[in-house]
Amino acid sequence: MTVTDQAGLPAEIAAGLRPGDIRALVQPDRVRGLVYTDPRVFDLEMRRIFREGWVFVAHESEVPEPGDYVTKRIAGEPYVVARGKDGVVRVLANRCTHRGNRLCNAEKGNSSSFRCPYHGWTFSNDGSLSGVPMREGYGERFPEIRASLGLVQAPRQESYRGFTFASLAPGGITLAEHLGNARHAIDRLVALSPTGSIQLSAGWMKHRMRCNWKMVMENNVDGYHALFTHQSVYDAVRPAKVSHVPSKTETMVRDMGNGHSEIDYATEYRRLDEEFVWYGRLKREKVPGYIAALEEARGVDGAHDTLVIGPPHTLIFPNLFIAEMNIMTVEPLSVSETIAYTTPVLIPGHPEMNSRTLRRTEGAMGPAGFLIADDGEIGARNQLGLAAREPEWVVLSRGMESDITDATGRVNRDKSAETPQRGWWQHWAAVLEGETTGAEAQ
Amino acid sequence: MTETIFTDPSAPAKVDPELVAFIYHEARLADEARYSEWEALWDDDAHYWVPMSPDADPETQVSYINDNRARIRSRVAQLNTGVRHSQTPPSVLRRTVSNFEVVSEAPQAGTVTVASNFVLVEYRFETTLWAGRYLHTIRAAQSGLRLAGKTVHLVNAGGPIPTMSFLI
Repeated sequence: MTVTDQAGLPAEIAAGLRPGDIRALVQPDRVRGLVYTDPRVFDLEMRRIFREGWVFVAHESEVPEPGDYVTKRIAGEPYVVARGKDGVVRVLANRCTHRGNRLCNAEKGNSSSFRCPYHGWTFSNDGSLSGVPMREGYGERFPEIRASLGLVQAPRQESYRGFTFASLAPGGITLAEHLGNARHAIDRLVALSPTGSIQLSAGWMKHRMRCNWKMVMENNVDGYHALFTHQSVYDAVRPAKVSHVPSKTETMVRDMGNGHSEIDYATEYRRLDEEFVWYGRLKREKVPGYIAALEEARGVDGAHDTLVIGPPHTLIFPNLFIAEMNIMTVEPLSVSETIAYTTPVLIPGHPEMNSRTLRRTEGAMGPAGFLIADDGEIGARNQLGLAAREPEWVVLSRGMESDITDATGRVNRDKSAETPQRGWWQHWAAVLEGETTGAEAQ
Repeated sequence: MTETIFTDPSAPAKVDPELVAFIYHEARLADEARYSEWEALWDDDAHYWVPMSPDADPETQVSYINDNRARIRSRVAQLNTGVRHSQTPPSVLRRTVSNFEVVSEAPQAGTVTVASNFVLVEYRFETTLWAGRYLHTIRAAQSGLRLAGKTVHLVNAGGPIPTMSFLI
């Protein structure tokens, strides 16, 4: 065996990814470029992160009524998220238990049962096997077959404020343990709804990007790139909402632990004490119904503060990004291909807000968005650049000496610090080494 | 009702050649990244719309593109900066437009809506094929023909789709 194989992977990893091998790819201030390019790292991620760990799957508002379902994929496997007639939302493998046909072929719909077109097996939307044509062919064993061949349910499923997560491993840490401090970001988002519930019903834009999924995610909390990647927006359309110069703003970045991180504008917005800076500086007079409902729910001062600090800009490891009034999730297709899914956050009962939010989403996000189209392009070029094997390392040391630790995590008062990325990679290595998910060893 | 919807199969044949020429011109300006000339085709009540499904309601469903006149101006201004990275350099584009049919007329608004099919080849990183149906809503103004609406129903609107920051 040579020192490195063709993909540039150290020989010991090529030989079988032993304990410690992944750790060797991640230093406190840098990571090896091949974390983005090596298919074996990708395979390990699919197992450790996307199968054994908690991943965001759907929001309960996508299936508001009994019988509603949406189809999703987890670690490349087809799942259907269905609300049964009992009102319970279940994450079910989208595969007929007879011969494996994909059962649900629409992206969404409403049905009390799913009937396989191959041999007519029928499953209730709670997953139970309800009908088998010509059952006598199974003889006396039929009751046993019917009882044992319901749809496979994701081994673990938990929701927080409507955000439904699943894990395909039977054991491990709870969702609450996984979310840790990041649950406050979800709280901050739903606080913008007078009822505390949000609605993801506007459809998901699906944007195919020519880059590794981790580039998409860590870029979302990169406070350094905006002035350059998005220069065209600032030059041509509108100035940045707050200054990018550290000495002129209280915007900070935060590694919240467990791979979660954020760019936090709250301190800066409170300093400005201005509502809706995060929403095109909308005047509250434009949305009186929403303001009244929010003041009713949170009180005058509470509503004011909610509207000042706005929604979070928070990445929840590994695949959920609360992009202020958008939700983005990613599906890794291969080491160099990713689908980014984006939908606006709607507030039930407030169309005057929702039509604005829709237009803002279309402006910024998705394949033609003023922002994300360029992030996708930069990601594609990043993937191309990393094909060069030297230098071996990607450097993430920015702001390292000015990180401070407080109760909320590791914080840097310079938004351009690479604190979120450093937190991401430390957690990533720990998960891939099997140290943190608590999933049973395989 | 001020709008006439044509269902007579013999009507589509009678698409005014001037309208067809206008659509060809619009297509060529888009293909050749002549952004400002393309923008100048638009009237004040412009609506440039690329939905995620043909029956989507843009008031409740998110669209890939849903530009009014102001946002078209912003989109073109961004392309004109030269640092709209996803179009720097511009994708190489050529499209074919065909199967013209007049689908409706709205005399009060002074517009005619022409449907057509298109096939568009984009070269950027690799060759990407785009196709779909256009609905051009065109107004005859004193200054000449003006574009009031362009709807693009992509064949692959359901996605996933690659980056689409050129003028589709």
